[in-house]
Formats: sequence, structure tokens, C-alpha cells
Amino acid sequence: MNTEIATRPLRFHWSMSSAGQQQRAAKSRAAVTGVPDLDALTAFCRHAEECGIESLLTAFGFHRPDPLTLAAALAMRTSRIKFMVAVRSGVCSPTLFVQQVNTVAALSGGRICINVVAGHTPEEQRGYGDFLDHDERYERTDEFLTICRSFWRREPLINFEGSHYRLENGRLNLPFLDGERSSPEIFLGGNSAEAEQLAIKHADCWWRLPDKPEVLAAKSRALAASGTEMGLLMSICVRPTREEAIRDAYAMVADLGEPPRTAHREFRKRSDSVAFLSTYDLADRFDWLTPYMWTGAVASLGAPAVALVGSPEDVAEGILDLKHAGVSQFLFVGWPDLDQMTTFQRDVLPLVRELEIRDESSERKGGTA
Amino acid sequence: MTDALRFHWRLPQGGERAGASRALLASRPESALPDVDYQASFCRTAEDLGIESLLTDFGWSKPDSILLSAAIGLQCTRAKFIIAYRSGLICPTTFVQQLNTLSALIDGRFSLNVVAGHSPDEQRSYGDFLPHDERYARTEEFLAICNAFWHGDSPVNYEGRFYRLENGKVATPFISSDGAKGPELYIAGNSDQAMQMAITQGSCWMMMADTPAKIFAKSGPVLESRKTIGLRMSVFARPTREEAITAARAFAAERPAGFDSKSAESRFVTGGDTVGMRKTFELAESEWLTPWLWTGLVRTHGAPTLAIIGSYDDVAEALLEYKAAGVRQFIFSGWPKLDEMVRFGSEVIPRVREAEAAAA
Repeated sequence: MNTEIATRPLRFHWSMSSAGQQQRAAKSRAAVTGVPDLDALTAFCRHAEECGIESLLTAFGFHRPDPLTLAAALAMRTSRIKFMVAVRSGVCSPTLFVQQVNTVAALSGGRICINVVAGHTPEEQRGYGDFLDHDERYERTDEFLTICRSFWRREPLINFEGSHYRLENGRLNLPFLDGERSSPEIFLGGNSAEAEQLAIKHADCWWRLPDKPEVLAAKSRALAASGTEMGLLMSICVRPTREEAIRDAYAMVADLGEPPRTAHREFRKRSDSVAFLSTYDLADRFDWLTPYMWTGAVASLGAPAVALVGSPEDVAEGILDLKHAGVSQFLFVGWPDLDQMTTFQRDVLPLVRELEIRDESSERKGGTA
Repeated sequence: MTDALRFHWRLPQGGERAGASRALLASRPESALPDVDYQASFCRTAEDLGIESLLTDFGWSKPDSILLSAAIGLQCTRAKFIIAYRSGLICPTTFVQQLNTLSALIDGRFSLNVVAGHSPDEQRSYGDFLPHDERYARTEEFLAICNAFWHGDSPVNYEGRFYRLENGKVATPFISSDGAKGPELYIAGNSDQAMQMAITQGSCWMMMADTPAKIFAKSGPVLESRKTIGLRMSVFARPTREEAITAARAFAAERPAGFDSKSAESRFVTGGDTVGMRKTFELAESEWLTPWLWTGLVRTHGAPTLAIIGSYDDVAEALLEYKAAGVRQFIFSGWPKLDEMVRFGSEVIPRVREAEAAAA
């Protein structure tokens, strides 16, 4: 594990795509409405600001509003929250993409970071005119990010000739403006070996889906030299006691009934995402990955539904276990979102910070630092 | 008064309050910074004056026009935007998704001004290496797909030379309380290809200005297909013709220290492959094309600065001459930007409306 990363305080982000809906992923993707409710989303963002959440993920997909446009609008109505804008390569020229990201940065005072995903179903990609297979999509994403990062380094004229992109004297007038950074923080999602390599090459943080801590620890050791962080996209269900949390988690899945399970079985057949498919497999094999990490909702809510379930103490312990395995950032979906954000900030986060301080001082005493 | 002339104005970029040429602006990074408060107040002034929409430019030296319109659109209630965009930079599905998202945020208050691209140099910077005619062929496909999303049945399937889509879907619909299912589509460009595209895909052919007679001579096919004609140009309206000419000449004489707009603009035109920009540059051989149509800024400030000059009455009459020649919409620039728009809105528009009412 990279010791510098391991001693930093954990960072917490939340998913925004569910704002206004209790159980977004329980619906089949076609049934989710794509009309953004600006007031509801604004309220969600402000709540996240109050709860000390660093950034909100605005996801990408045909069934959702466009994340960049949404971020530009919400930036005008908020003051601290960052927007983690999901992006796929292959839907836009990298020059235009950088121009759009820099525009949101200028409008928001740098409150934008990007979450790169290569795409998860060939079917949806084709709706965007993209007919590449999984591995070629990664190759293209590599070229895409190479070009974007040249712009963000402010190279004066960018020339590029690859198998997917070609640029001659690429230039943009508007830089990425932020008090501290000259480029947006780059997150990259995916569990495949290609995703991991790409994250090491281009990203500040590799988003992956949860696994057993020992599996994650092995991954984080592999990442250590690159300085790339590892983050987990997962769900959270905290209640005053462990019994209540488990009861609510099971009740939620029972209430969802059969239709979402059918929808996810269908999605599983169509997807070529290693991350999503491996999580379905993991959930088939284990109900609990650790005493606090439950997979029981994956069949109904999909791969991001591996959840930390328990009392505030349990969940804080669970989070620290993952930190010890090398995880440094979390992106949560809450069951339910708004309440869980409040609970997290009030009951869990102080415990996490306490445990982090205890870790740090015991390390100092041990003289290992 | 459904046949009334429609007036739009170019929205100044953030760093651009006084007059400045295109070439000068592109040389200043700060010109690309949005200034949302100023720009939103410009839009609210426009609303009050009866200016229908504000043109948000597209270009490498500027912020993105869709996202800027989202930010400013939330700060005003009636003003619309004319969003300039190019084909070939973004997949049509994503483009429609961005615009439909914007429509849901600002109640559909925008139209599109689609340009096939005006300089190969700039297009290549965006990764687009097609020559002029091919760009038009691609833009035609691009807009056909966009129109299928807006006005056709979902999902969208398409197989063309430049685009291929299989079961394209965008869940966010175009939303506008006036019931429109997609944005109004201006096709900008003076070439025959642009005209053809206005007929097949657009609702208005937006040209660089010329004399009413010459505009009329070119407009036949567009008018026959029941599409409208729009002009992108400039205006200097003052209480008297003399004052207007003095103001225009004074503006033309402003020379930022150490910057040669003239050679920069002529490099832009000779490096470009647009028919409209080149033709207008040639027109500027003579200073006056009619007693009120002045070319004095064209060679330093670009084709959109071909200007109507005169007293408020002169300018109103000129607009009605254009109307008689089939023109229905204008996108104007003026200097000083805000003052000129205020003068135009409070002095010229009422005169036009009066004449239109009298004619009805």
C-alpha cells in the first residue's frame, strides 16, 4: 500500500443520479424518466453540501439527462459541492469535451471532476453510434484521455495521430480554472484489467466495485507505485442498531419484488462490463463479503448495491477495514439517499475520523511511519 | 402580427464589453471567461426591449455555447438563445441529449444556429479533417438524425456515410411550454449547400447580409419551401444619419495598440473556406452598397459587421426594405454593445412595429 495515500483522511462522495427517486436502479432503465427536476436536484445538492459531501456523481446514460449540462446549471445554484461528471469516450471530440469541462469549471470556480467510463452495454453504445467492442473502447478511451490531458497541461498546440483520434494544432482559449488545480481530478471506473491499466496511466483514482478486503488489498498493492488511488462505488444502509439495519435492508429488497430482479437478469445478459458482471457473480457466491458488507441487494439493484449494512459503529469499522485494504475514497448510494447522507454525516463520519486519528497515533507509537 | 420581423442580438462574450475584433478577442485568453452576471443582465435588457434571442457564439476561443446558455438561461425568464454549433464534433445522440436537458432546465428557450464549420484550421483542431463540401454532407446527416430524435419515432436507426446509429434513444424529451418538439433550426452559410440544407433540415436560412435586391435574388427556393430568411449583420442607429456615420467611422478608427486587426482578419478569410465570409470580404471593395449599407468594418472586423447605418427612421426603413425582399429575422451586433441594443430596441423596433401595423 502507498503509505502517503494510506495516511490521508478518507474522502466521501455521493451519487446524485437517484435524486427524487427512492430506488432508482430497481426500475428497468427504460422506465426511468429523463426529465430533470431542477428544484429537487438543487435541494439534493445543498443537502449534500450541508452533510460535508465532497462531490456528487452525475451519471451518464440514455435514460438520464446530460451530466455536463446538469452540472453547469446546478453550479449556478450551489456554492461548495463539486460535480463528478461521468464521461464516455467516443461520443464527443476530446477538444470539445475539454472545452465543455473548462466551461463548467469557469462557471463554478473549478467545482468539476470527471468520472471516465468506457461504456457498459454494446446495445446502448450503438445508440450513440459507437460500434467498438470492449477492448477497443478502452484503447479509444486511452487516446481520448491522452489528448484531454495534453490540453489540461496547457500545451500550446496539440497534435495527435492515433487509431481513433487525429488532431492538428488543437487549441483552446479557456483554461481549466480552479484555485488549486490546472486540470480536473480524473476518476476512472471499471473492474477489468484494461480499466486498471488505464487508471494507472491517466487517473487520480480508480473506481471499482467492492470485493473482499483481501482481494482489494492485493489490487491496491499493485497500484501503489503509480500513486493512483483506489475508490469504491457502493451503497450504505446505517440504522441505530445492526438488527434494524439488516431488517431494513432485507425489507427493502423484499418490497422491490420480482420485476427488478428480472430487469437485472436481462441487463446481465446484455452487459459486457467486467465490473458489473463480476459483481453479479460475487453476489451469487457470497451473501456477506465481511460482517458489514452485504451483497443481497445486487440481484435487485445491480452492481453498485453491494452495501455497508449495520450500526454507525459497524459501518465505521467496515469503512476502516476497507481503508486498511487500500481504499481511500468512497462513492455512496444511500438507502434511502437523503436520510443516509444526514445519518452518515452525523453518526458515521465522526467515528471514522476518530478511528483514523487512532490509527495514525498508533502508527506513530509503533514507529512505523 | 405573425408576419412581424424578428430581432435577435449577439451576446457579448465575458471579456468583451467594448468593441473588439474577432481576431483580437481570440488573442486574449480572458475573453473566453464567462461573465455570467454581466451576460445575464444583458439578456434581461434584451427581454425588456423586445429582442427575442441572444446568439451565443461557438469557437475554440470561447466557452461552450450550450453550457453557457444553461448558466445564463437560469438567470432570465423570457430571452431565448441562438446556440451556434458545428457538426462533426459530437455524436448526434449526445448533442440531442445535451440540448433536451437544456430545454428542460430553461423551458426550451433556445434555437440552433448550425454552421458546417468555417475554417479547416479550426475544424482540425477539433479532429475534423473533412473538406467544405463533405462537411455539408455530414451536417445534413447530423441534422437528419437530430430531427429524427425530435420529430420522428423512437428508437432512431440510421445508416449514412458519416453516421451509423442502432436503436438510438434519448429519454429526456425536448421540453417547451409552447409545445415545440424540437428547437428552431437556423442554417448559417451563404453557399448553395447551406441553402439546400435550410430547405431540407432547417427552418431558416441565416445569411451574411447583402443588399435587399441581392438577398431577394437568392431567396426564391427557400421562400418557396416556406422556410424563412435571416440575416447576420450589424447596425449603427443614431438620431441623425450624420451622427450614425460619425459613430461608425470613429469605431472603425479605434486601433488597439500593437494589434493589426486588418491583417489578422484577412488571414482568417484567406485561411477559411467559407463562401459567405469571402464574398462579404469582396463586397467591401466599395464602402457603400446602398445609401445605408456600409462595409467599412468588414475587412477589419469580419463579415458579420456589414452594417445598416442611419437615423432611427433610416434604419427602420432599411429593415422594411429587407422585409419586402423576403427577410424575416435579423441577428445584429452593435457598438457599444449594450447602448446600441438599447437604442435599437427603444427607437427602431417601435418604428418598425408601427409601420407593420399600418401595413396590416
